[in-house]
Amino acid sequence: MLNVGVIIKLEPDFSEGNVSYNSDGTLNRAETKNILGPHSAIACNAAFYCKVKYGAHISIGTMGPPIAESALKQAQVLTDAEELNLYSDRLFAGADTLATAEVLKNGVKNMFGGNKIDIVFSGHRASDGETGQTGPQTAWKLGYTFLGNVIDFDIDLGRKVVIAKRLISLQGMDTIIEEIESPLPVFITIDPSYRSIFNTVSQRLTANKFSKEGREHSEEYTHILRIFDSKKLNLDPKLVGLPGSPTIVYRVEKIPRAKTNRKTEFIDAANPDNLTPITTKIIQILRGK
Amino acid sequence: MSKLLGRENISNTNEKYRHIYVIIEHFEGQVVPVSLEMLGEARRLMDDFNQKYNSSEKVVAVLLGSKVRKLCDELVTYGADSVIYANHEELRYPRNDIDTRVIVQIAKDVEILKEISPEYESTFVKPRYMFFAADNIGRHLSSTVLAELESGLASDINKLVISDLDIRHEHKTKGQSVKYEKTLEMYRPDFSGFLWTTILCLDNKNPENLREYHPQGCSIIPGAFKPIESDNLRKGTIVEYYPKIDQDLKIKILSRRVIEKKIDYETCKIVVSFGRGIKDNPEQNIKLVEEFAELLDAEIGITLPLSKKPYQLSQNLDSKYMIPDRVIGTSGSKVTPTLYVAVGLSGAIQHVAGMKDSEMVLSINTDENSPIVDESDIFIKGRMEQVIPILIDQIKKQMPSISIRGQ
Repeated sequence: MLNVGVIIKLEPDFSEGNVSYNSDGTLNRAETKNILGPHSAIACNAAFYCKVKYGAHISIGTMGPPIAESALKQAQVLTDAEELNLYSDRLFAGADTLATAEVLKNGVKNMFGGNKIDIVFSGHRASDGETGQTGPQTAWKLGYTFLGNVIDFDIDLGRKVVIAKRLISLQGMDTIIEEIESPLPVFITIDPSYRSIFNTVSQRLTANKFSKEGREHSEEYTHILRIFDSKKLNLDPKLVGLPGSPTIVYRVEKIPRAKTNRKTEFIDAANPDNLTPITTKIIQILRGK
Repeated sequence: MSKLLGRENISNTNEKYRHIYVIIEHFEGQVVPVSLEMLGEARRLMDDFNQKYNSSEKVVAVLLGSKVRKLCDELVTYGADSVIYANHEELRYPRNDIDTRVIVQIAKDVEILKEISPEYESTFVKPRYMFFAADNIGRHLSSTVLAELESGLASDINKLVISDLDIRHEHKTKGQSVKYEKTLEMYRPDFSGFLWTTILCLDNKNPENLREYHPQGCSIIPGAFKPIESDNLRKGTIVEYYPKIDQDLKIKILSRRVIEKKIDYETCKIVVSFGRGIKDNPEQNIKLVEEFAELLDAEIGITLPLSKKPYQLSQNLDSKYMIPDRVIGTSGSKVTPTLYVAVGLSGAIQHVAGMKDSEMVLSINTDENSPIVDESDIFIKGRMEQVIPILIDQIKKQMPSISIRGQ
């Protein structure tokens, strides 16, 4: 039996109609709803793929305030998970990535009653924090092999290895796809371009069945929800929250605008004729003049 | 003055943390440009630092790979005082697990430090600062290296300052004001592109929880800094490190293949980018931009918020355009086309940083107060739905031969 863990995050909903910006262009957090982050959702899809293809059991974890339960509920719709875990404690507040990874490490260790998790999935990066550090740091603390930017994967259950494709794109260099193999357990951050594809009819039928069950079960998600505080996770208070965070946010400021040398010509499009000289300029450029 | 310098020297001698270690990336025998950019910024910071603190700390390039000795001299010409390289067949391609272990070995190795700065050997414990590239490799590597070194880092940095700061923090200083010397202020633009957050990595000086957090680490956005001019006369120490490599390597590389770089902003003359101004009818408006770009033989870019997929779109448009690879700005590509057309985008600073060196900028926007106005040579006030069809129509009429792309 394959045990799969997923680390998710509740994030501001950046979709149009839900996101609200202040007049200075910054996010209005009070007016913006929170949802299961889009990268977390992709990690859930990868876990669901394991359930359909390999009959995996899924445990989902998130660190956050009680409201983060809603992300777990949404994740259950996507995965039909067996277990949902909320790691919540006032002591966790103000954590940077290292202190967050400390909590998530013990969280993963407590999934399925402490049974070994074979694969942990997490998103590429959060839409709000955007550091992309929490996944690899949690992996390192767990002692799991870390695989990043994974766009596709398969598991060889007999040999207990994962074969994965990952994307490497460096500044000014060709993009490459690397195929790698690693023994389980692994910690995978899923690239945003990942799509789970079910090739056979039986897989599609299984996927439909689990999807339906996931939706139904999510209505009663509290039955499988477990809430952990720092004591239940057996955490050292000095390693979590503010005390366990090497970094602090020192200041937040508006980025000053650089001086520009452009003299702007204003064109009012209310009169289409005003656009003719612009067309002429564009054509000059097209002709290479 | 001499008295002052003397005092500085004494306070300097017993420090445990020294130097900037810059983790170099390379690909197919070439140093990735961001590595030279990091060396340039490290050079500038260290020159000021050594003058200010009367010290002789170094810019140390750390290079892992197979047959990489030949790259070391280049790193010196671009500003490294020392290069520590590890040459091993198992280090040929980046692999997070083994690279993390070797970098941590190097960071803690006092023997190797003796060769690059004997004056600091007796007290050295770890690097003072560490720089990584904020890319597919460095982002993860920085996370795992700093996790192993049990210190902190900030990601996606585009400005760095070293200063002495008076800090009053609920936990770090237990509410007292405490001076922190030689602190790296790490500036990162947030997701909106309008705000800069300064991150500090600070020792806990709270008597109830004393703890030192060094090195102060960060990952640096490619393109954010300029390399220094290469100087063949620069001198540096090049030292080989013999890594201890486990027999049981977890990750096996089965194959590597180059995929065609899908988006080429470098050779196209025109780039058309769009932002949230498409929102009234995203599907139709993207198709309109697509038609316009095709007519101009232009490549298409987007703003950062669009890569977060704020709209319901057909799968085809979504996977083609609403992707991080298309983002123009500090967290994406930097472009310098002959003509940059900004459609329905406000001009967040992080976006402007990616297009401001374009030869000509034409923007189409309903809001004449948006910041993009100042960045434009021509500002067309109007709705994109109205303006672009007129432009398409006029161009087709005046230049019928280009209406079919590539002929």
